Formats: sequence, structure tokens, C-alpha cells
Amino acid sequence: MAVPIPAAPVELQQDWDVPEQIGLWTDVWRRFRRNRIAVLGAVVVAILIIDAILAPLLVHFGIVQDPIKQDVTNSFAGPSVGHLLGTDQLGRDMLSRLMHGAQISLTIGILVQGIILVIGGTIGLISGYAGGRTDNLLMRFTDIWYAFPDLIFVLVLVSVFGASLLSIFVAIGIVNWVGLARLVRGQVLSIKEKEFVESARAVGSSHLKIVLRHLVPNALGPVIITLTFGIPQAIFLEAVLSYLGVGIPPPTPSWGVMIQDGYQAIFSAPGQVAFPAIAVAITMLSFTFIGDGLRDALDPRMKR
Amino acid sequence: MWGLHPRKQVRSLAVGICAVVVAFACGNGGGTGTSNEAAPNDQQVLRINDGTEPNSYDPGQQTYTYEAAVGRMTFQSLLLPKPDLSDVQPGAAKSYDVSSDGLTYTFHLRPEAKWSDGKPVTAADWVYGWKRVLNPALAAGYVDPFFDNSVAGGDKYGDVDSKSSSAIDTFLNGLGLSAPDDHTFVIKLAQPAGYFKWIATLWVATPIRKDIVEQAAGGPVASNDATKAEAWANDAKTIVGNGMFKISEIVPKDHVTLVPNPQYWGGAPKVQKLTYYFISDANTAFAKYRTGDLDTYTASTQNVQLIRNDPVLSKQAKLYPKLTTFWMTFNEKKAPFDNEKLRLALSKSIDRDKLANNVLNGTDKPFSTFIPQGMNGYDASLGDSQKFDPTAAKKLLADSGVTAQQLSQFKLLTRDTTANKTVNEFISAQWQENLGVNIGIEVIDSKTVTSRIRKGQFDIYGPDGWGADYPDQQDWFDIFLSTACHNLNWGCPTLPGYDDNIKKADSSRNESDRNSMYKTAQKQLIDTAAVGFIYQAAEYTLIKPYVKDLKITAIDDQAIPGDLFYHDIFIAKH
Amino acid sequence: MANQAVGGRPFGGARPARRLLAPSSRAGALTVFIVRRLLWMLPVVFFVILITFILMHLAPGSPWDRGGGRQLSANVVQNLNVRYGLDKPLWQQFVLYLWNVVHFDFGLSYQYQGKTVSSLLLGSWVYTFTLGVLAFCVIVPVGIGLGVIAALRQNTRVDYVAMGFSTFGASVPNFVVGMLLIIIFGVYLYTLTGGAYSLPVAGFGLDDHLIMPVLTLATLPTAFIARLTRASTLDILRQDYIRTAWAKGLPERLVVLKHILKNSLIPVVTALGPTFAFLVTGSVIVETVFAIPGIGRSFVTAVLSRDYTMILATTVLFSVVVAVANLVVDVLYVFIDPRVRLS
Repeated sequence: MAVPIPAAPVELQQDWDVPEQIGLWTDVWRRFRRNRIAVLGAVVVAILIIDAILAPLLVHFGIVQDPIKQDVTNSFAGPSVGHLLGTDQLGRDMLSRLMHGAQISLTIGILVQGIILVIGGTIGLISGYAGGRTDNLLMRFTDIWYAFPDLIFVLVLVSVFGASLLSIFVAIGIVNWVGLARLVRGQVLSIKEKEFVESARAVGSSHLKIVLRHLVPNALGPVIITLTFGIPQAIFLEAVLSYLGVGIPPPTPSWGVMIQDGYQAIFSAPGQVAFPAIAVAITMLSFTFIGDGLRDALDPRMKR
Repeated sequence: MWGLHPRKQVRSLAVGICAVVVAFACGNGGGTGTSNEAAPNDQQVLRINDGTEPNSYDPGQQTYTYEAAVGRMTFQSLLLPKPDLSDVQPGAAKSYDVSSDGLTYTFHLRPEAKWSDGKPVTAADWVYGWKRVLNPALAAGYVDPFFDNSVAGGDKYGDVDSKSSSAIDTFLNGLGLSAPDDHTFVIKLAQPAGYFKWIATLWVATPIRKDIVEQAAGGPVASNDATKAEAWANDAKTIVGNGMFKISEIVPKDHVTLVPNPQYWGGAPKVQKLTYYFISDANTAFAKYRTGDLDTYTASTQNVQLIRNDPVLSKQAKLYPKLTTFWMTFNEKKAPFDNEKLRLALSKSIDRDKLANNVLNGTDKPFSTFIPQGMNGYDASLGDSQKFDPTAAKKLLADSGVTAQQLSQFKLLTRDTTANKTVNEFISAQWQENLGVNIGIEVIDSKTVTSRIRKGQFDIYGPDGWGADYPDQQDWFDIFLSTACHNLNWGCPTLPGYDDNIKKADSSRNESDRNSMYKTAQKQLIDTAAVGFIYQAAEYTLIKPYVKDLKITAIDDQAIPGDLFYHDIFIAKH
Repeated sequence: MANQAVGGRPFGGARPARRLLAPSSRAGALTVFIVRRLLWMLPVVFFVILITFILMHLAPGSPWDRGGGRQLSANVVQNLNVRYGLDKPLWQQFVLYLWNVVHFDFGLSYQYQGKTVSSLLLGSWVYTFTLGVLAFCVIVPVGIGLGVIAALRQNTRVDYVAMGFSTFGASVPNFVVGMLLIIIFGVYLYTLTGGAYSLPVAGFGLDDHLIMPVLTLATLPTAFIARLTRASTLDILRQDYIRTAWAKGLPERLVVLKHILKNSLIPVVTALGPTFAFLVTGSVIVETVFAIPGIGRSFVTAVLSRDYTMILATTVLFSVVVAVANLVVDVLYVFIDPRVRLS
């Protein structure tokens, strides 16, 4: 009788290169993290947000000058120990005003996009998904809105409700949602014909579920990019409104107001316009890098 | 319409290259030495920035200084101010008589005066022109109070139904305007007015050619038809005037070109062309001056330091005081601004020296009286009650019984220009610093501000100001009449005895009586802080050294130095 | 002006495939489509007029309130209101206005005595249109060119430079860009050449007056188009049929022109439509800084001085231009992407 030879240990089959199942957003985050420029943009934005929150505290502790304290005998001063970036036309510290300006500018930028997202996104979703007559009517409605010169609207809102932060960004938001609506609609139109939506319908999912679970996540990519590109655009618009005289009321510093005031003095004190313009430029670049990074991270075809 | 500023690119580029070579060879070209010899005719051009395009080229319709600037050139009024502003001098009228009761002014027109198309100017033209100003259908902005309060029969102006041409005709024919012969123009007044001679210097009331109006309208014009009545003023060819220039070209929103009127009774002016641009951006105008395309530039506050520090520009710049003062208006129909002590406290806590020298860069003069320097009635000694004095201000505030808490709910209404915002930010900070009071600023667009102050919907408003139409005190004190409440007199202060005093002063023809009555009124305004006076304006203006013989006065149109007397100016060789 | 973000078509997904129509019936369908859209413009314009009318009259202040200083007396204001029909009830004014518009009568300006709004508008539009078209001629080649190059050389130095360049140009407000150009090429150049030459600082002219305003106008849209082109080109580059073309060994230029450009242009064309519309209806900033008598500036002046007839007429012009631009884009879309079904 033969001694049973134990069977050779069976080696575990090598796992095929099946990527681990991770959610969409984890994947996106990982890919975003690897994009160094996008991360740089995110870091800068984080710094700006921290600065916006902390600026009043810094003033309280005397690290930074008071942004509304005037010293008219020292106006348009160059950089010095007490005023690292000099002073403006009423002798107020530029650095402090820049730091405080971040509050207003970021608020405008982000909140405006929030309004745009809500209004434009909803209308675009409904229009694209419903199709037919609803789509046609909604699109004509946006045509009217699109053709509408926003200056009147802003002016009326501001003069009826007073020139406050709220009225200005409600005005900007309300007028500018059209682009996003059209974009969302286009996305929805193309996605809703795809197979996975058809199968969801075949299975009997409710409309709401289809919209929320299938359409929204797949449409999000370009939308996010438009929004991040739009944030600096809104800051920019605030500067233009200041140029036209309907900007943030003084003495609150905002980059838009500072650019406009600095523009008036561009010949004698170019630093006045340079510093806030650079601040806006850096913000815009950062958000654009984030937007690009998000776009690349969301692109399913990009190699890992 | 096309090709407004033709420049030959290739030629100028070649010139540029040659010039660079020459410039290096010959050293700095900066236009320092200019002779007094007149430049050749094609260079006898004066280029100025008028800022904004006139809404109309009909002098009767013109109200803003940027419109009057053109109106003055193309039309001439009966009288002109003297260059030193002490009195009037003959204009289109070579002399005038006043009746002993002061109610009839007889103007003797120059028989040699001609229109720019060669026809002689007759008294009938004058009557027609003055009637147009007083025509309710044409709604001339300057009719009130200059014409409807002075000319006999004019007080019914507001009651006329402007839709009915017969009502208008009745009104116009009932006015005290007549032409007994071709060269005599007689004006009857409703009451004596010592200042009427100055009204005769306004650019608004000039002769107008009835036949040209009707030709441009395609036939006789009914007096209630304003559109047809204005048709002639839209085309340079039909704007026929009696002034020393005539319009050769209007390019809408861009510029207007004026050339000498050879028919002018005083002979054609020396300068061969005036170009008035409509550039609204101050920096653009400055750049244009520096590249040699503009001959004058009135500095914005921000550019003043740069000009002062520049070796070339500072020699071309000078400070020209204007008969314009500014003040802060309190809404005295709204508590607690009817409290005199409060108003004085607010006024006395503004450091005017800092305002004028630092905020406004020394281009304006700290001021606490009403009538500007340079005019009859100026008296600095009256200003003590409003002078900057923070200690006294604090005491006044305490005495007034109004708390800082109460005041913090109020706002300082501000127009949305950079200049206004800067000044008001300073004033608001001054109140905070010197009185411990927190009155914030409310910035709105200009029209809305105007509509609110007309309705009395404001707390404090400023800087409000006045520029003299002519150097007579009547022009100033009429602002604060109680009848002007909600129309120039925005704050509606309570001034006992003021109205009667002013009415007497206006109608008196005795200069010393008038002066003392106006002085009393000025003291009353200052001591009760009806408004808070803050500064007198001046213009820091750059003028190219080759513009010669300018006669600059304090009532020149804004940013256009010397434009009351352009007849003898010329461009020197440069 | 309103957000210039993507106008109407997705740059991600493609339209669903449909049965290709025969060319002749396509032409027919196209004509019907165009006519239907033109007809739709009428109600759109009507609503634009209605909303503008309401907003205008909501804004406090009347055309007769003056900026500062001497105000018109009540008598005069009443006379003016009568003269311009502003004393009638609002609904009556609106109906009257519509009636006139149908007869192409846009009324008289309140600000400029006795001038008709249509003559003022057309007179100003000539300048704005010229500048807009010229700027467009800069934006299209430069924007698309930069975008394609950046995409083809993605993540290389070329890409970073091109995108950095365009983004930076777009992140400075255009009045600053304009004034910087004026300072450098106007004032400094003048001083440098001892007064012999500089670019003219203000005004309109069919010569070197055009250089600086056109450059200022073109800066932001070029950046946007470049970025858009890059994104959509990157999308196309990943498609399989492009990989096939590379694999076949086709020369780069052929691949780019024949395959890539044509397909990546779809979203770009969509964005160019509204861009053209906004360019051609004027930028108040550029016109103010360069003192150009165009309609952008006159519109802002009209709004700020409550020149109602001017505001309405400009708005109508604006909405018609935008609607036509969108229509052109939609029609072009048909030719670029044969799968598109005209709805």
C-alpha cells in the first residue's frame, strides 16, 4: 500500500488585475491629489479662506492694521515697516484691506455660483429630462433671460433694495444662471439616451430616482468646471460694477472696489491697482487649476 | 462718420524712426521753449476735453457747463462779464439803459452784428429767442428762476397749459419783451432787480432765427410743438448763430469742431479751429494730454501729486480757483437734524484743512463760509461758528441732547463718483474720530440720489455745492429760500426772516444795501449751520505752454479755462 | 455683461445618433427650423421689451432728475412729461411703444433733444460693430490655435505657457488692461520717441486707433476659447478613431485638420455664438477707456440717466443679435455634426 503523498499545496490563483471597487468620488479624489498643480490651487484657495476668516481676529490682536482706519496725511504711501504694501488714498493700510477684501470677494464668488447652481441646475435638469414642450418653453424662457442686459437688473435691484452685498450678488446670480442651465440641459439630453438610464427605466425606477442617482452624478463633471471658472468671473464682475458705480458700499474693502479706486490713481500710484489685481489673478488662477484638476480627475478615459 | 482721426501709418512710423534719431542727436525734446510767434494756420487748433456731449446745441435748452461751453461760442448774449468779474461789459448789445424805476431795460444792439450766414441780427430775433426760452412747451431748464421771476408776465409760466398753442401764444405775447425798432430790444421786469444785468450775460438767452427754425421744421412751427421747434439744432449746417465761432462738424459722442465766424462783429478770432472732445475717463484724457493730443487737462485728485512731482508737467500746471463752494446738507425736516446744536457739532468736527490739503491734495481750499473768494460778498470772518474745533463740537453734541446711539441709525447719502465717495468716507471717519458718532455712508447712483433728495428721503447728503452762474450774490442766496424747498434747498432749513431779507436784497438796486442784507443772510446761514460748509473748489489745470493769451476767470466753464474770452487766444509756434 | 460660459451644447457627451436624413430633405428640415426659430424671436422680443419696460420704471428717478446742482422746477418737469408722453398711465405708454416698434419707430431720445433713437443707435453701432468683428477675427484663430496646441502637447511646457498666458490675460479686469496698454504704448512710447510717435490714445479711426481697443476686447474671450478648445480637443484625442489615425501613421497635420478640429469645434462654436453677440453689442469698459462713441457706453449712459426710449431700443437690438447668433450656431452645428437632429 502506498503512503499517500500529500498534494502539493495549491498556489492561490494570482488575482487578475481587477481594480478594487472604490466609489466614484474616492477615485476622483485620488486622481486629483496626484495632480500637483491642482493641489497647489486648492492649497492657495484654502489659505485665502483661512485668511478671510481670520483677518478680523488678526486685527483684534494687533498683528495687522485696521483696514478702515484713515490717516489722510499719509495717503498713497509706499511700502514701509508699518504698512507692508503701502496705503491707499485715505491712508488706510493696503495689506489689511487686501486681507479683508478676500472675505467679500470669496463670498461673492462662491455664493453667486451657489445661486447659479440652484437656479440654472434645476431648470437645466427639468428641461433636459422632460423634453418636448416643457423643454421648448423653458429654453425660450432662457432665451429671454439671456438676451437681457443685466446692467438694468443690477441697477434696479441695487437702487430698490439698497447697495448691499446681498443685493449685488443676488443680482449677479439671477442674471447669470442661463449658461449653466443650457449646459446642464445638454448633458442631460445626451446622458438620458444612454443604456444605463434605459435599463433603470425598464426596471421601474421613479423619475426622481433616475435624476438623482444617474443623471446628476454623470452630468456633474463639466458643471463643476463651469462653476469653478465662474467663481473668479463673479469677483471680476464685482470690480466692473464698482467701475460703473454700483459696487460694494464703502468703507468695506473688497478687491473690486480696491481695483476701481486704484485704477483712478493708476498714473500716480500704480501699486494701488496692481496689488488687488494680483490678488484677483491669483484667486482666478487657483480656481482654474482646481477646475482643470477636477476635470482631469473626472475624465473616465484618462490613464491612471 | 468714418476716419475721424486719419493718421498715415507708414509716414508716421518713418517720422517716428527719424525722430528717434534726431531726439538722440539733439537731446531731450520737451517743448520747453516756445516763442510768441503765431503758428501757421493749420496748427492754430485748440483741442479741449469737454467731458460730456451736450444734450442740445440750442442755447435755450442748455443747462450744464459742458453744454454752455459750446453755446457760448456759437451764440452771444447781450452782455458779458468783465474779465475781473467786477461788473458787466457790452456783448451783443453795445450799451443799455435802465429806467428810473428799475423796471425797464433798453438794450441798444450793435447795428453791425451779423449772423454766421451773413444776415443782420435784428431785435425781432432777440424777442423770438427770449420767448423761446420762456415757452413752457420747450421746457428750458434754466428758465427758472432767472427768466420767469424777472421778466414781466413770466410768473404765469407754471400755469400755462403747454399742450395748447393758443394758451402759450397768449402767455408769450403778454411778456415784457419788445422790439421798438431793429436795433433796440426792450425788456420789462416784474419787479426791480439789481442783478438783472447779470442775467443778460447768461448763455441761455440769445437771439434765434425764426426763418431757420421754420425751414428746418419744414414750415411754420406751432408754439406747442417742441420737436419741430428743435429740428434745426441737430445739424451743424442749420445752427446759425451770432457768436464768434460756428460749428463745422458734429460727430455724435466723439467731438464737435468749431471754426471762426467771419461775420462776427468783432472780427474773426485768431484761433482757426476749436475741437471739443467728449472723453469721460479722466485717465484717458490725461494720457491724451501727455501724448500731445489735448492742449489742456484738469487734473483729477489722484493725478495731482504726479503732476506736482514731474519737472515738465508741474511747470504747465496752475491752480485756478472757481466760484464754487461745497457743503453738507442736513434734512431739517427730520429729527434730530432740526436741532441747531447738533448741526453745529457735526460741522465743527470736520477737519477742513486735512480735507483740502490731504484728501483733495491741496486742490481745494478749506472753507466755512458761503460766498466763495473772488466774488463780492466773500467774508472769511463770518466763518468762525463753523470752524473746525473738536472740543467745542463735543460740547455742542453733549448740549444738544442727542446721543451717539441715536445718530448711528442715520446715513450719509453719497453719489457714486470716486471723488464723492472719498470725501464722504473721510467725513464719516471724522465724525467717528472727533465726535464718537458712527454715521455710515450710503452710495447710490446719481439719479436715484437726486430723486431721493427731491422727495426729502435722506438724513444727511453731501457734498452738495453751487457754482456761480454769474458773480452776483442773488444767484447764491436764492438757493435757501423756503420756496426753493425740495428744489435746490434740499434740507429745507427754518430761517426766520430770511425770505423777506433776500427778496428785499434781490430787488434793491443800491449795491451797499444789497451787500449788507446779503451779509446778514450769510451770517444767519453759517451761525445756524443751515448747512455745513466745507470747501471752495479750484481746478488744477495743465495748459500747454504754446496756448497764449488765455483770460482765465473763476466762472469759466468746468475744466475749460478761459472760455469766456476766446477771441484773442492763439497758438504759438512750437 | 452676462456670463460667457458655454452657451448651449455640452462639450462632454455627443448627441445621440439618429437616422441620417437625405441631403434634400435635410435642406427642407433646415429651412423649416430656421423659419420656426425666427418666428420664435417675436414673442421673445416682446417679453424682453415687457420686462425691460417694467424694470426701467421700477428704478427710482426720472429722466428729468439732474445729476447735481440746479434741478428743473416742477413746471418744467410737467411740461417735459407731457411732451414725451410720460404723463400717460404706464400700460398706455407700453401699448403705444409696441405700436411704434411695429412700425420701426423707436421714439425720440430723452437725453439728446430732438434726435431719434434709431439714428443715434445706428450711428453708434457702426463703431461697436467694427471693433467687435475685428476682435472676433483675433479671438478665433488665436484662441483656437492656442487651445489646440496646448491640447496636442498636453502637460508639457508649451501647454503650461499657452494656458498660463491666456488665463493671466483673463484674470486682470479689462479696464486695467486697457489703461496699461495706453500707458505703455501711448504715454511711454511718446516719451521714448521724443514725441514723434505713439499709438493714439482715444477715439475711433480706421487706422492704428484700432489696435489697443481690439486687443483689450479680445483678451478675455481668447482665454476662454483657448481653454474650451483645449478641453474639447483633449476629449477628442482620447477617442478610438483618433488612435486609429495615429496608428495608421498619418501625418500630424492631416490628423489635426481632418479629424480633430472638426469634431472638437462643436462646443467651441457653441460658445463663439454668444461671444460674437456680446462683442458686437459693445463693451462699456473698452468704449469708456478708449473714448469710443459706441453703443456699450451709450447704453450705460442711458440706463444711468433713465433715457427710457434708448434703453428699450438698445435692449431690443441686443436681444435680436443674441437670438440670431444662437440661431446661426444651431445651424452651424448641423453642418459640423451630421448626427444632430433638429428639434
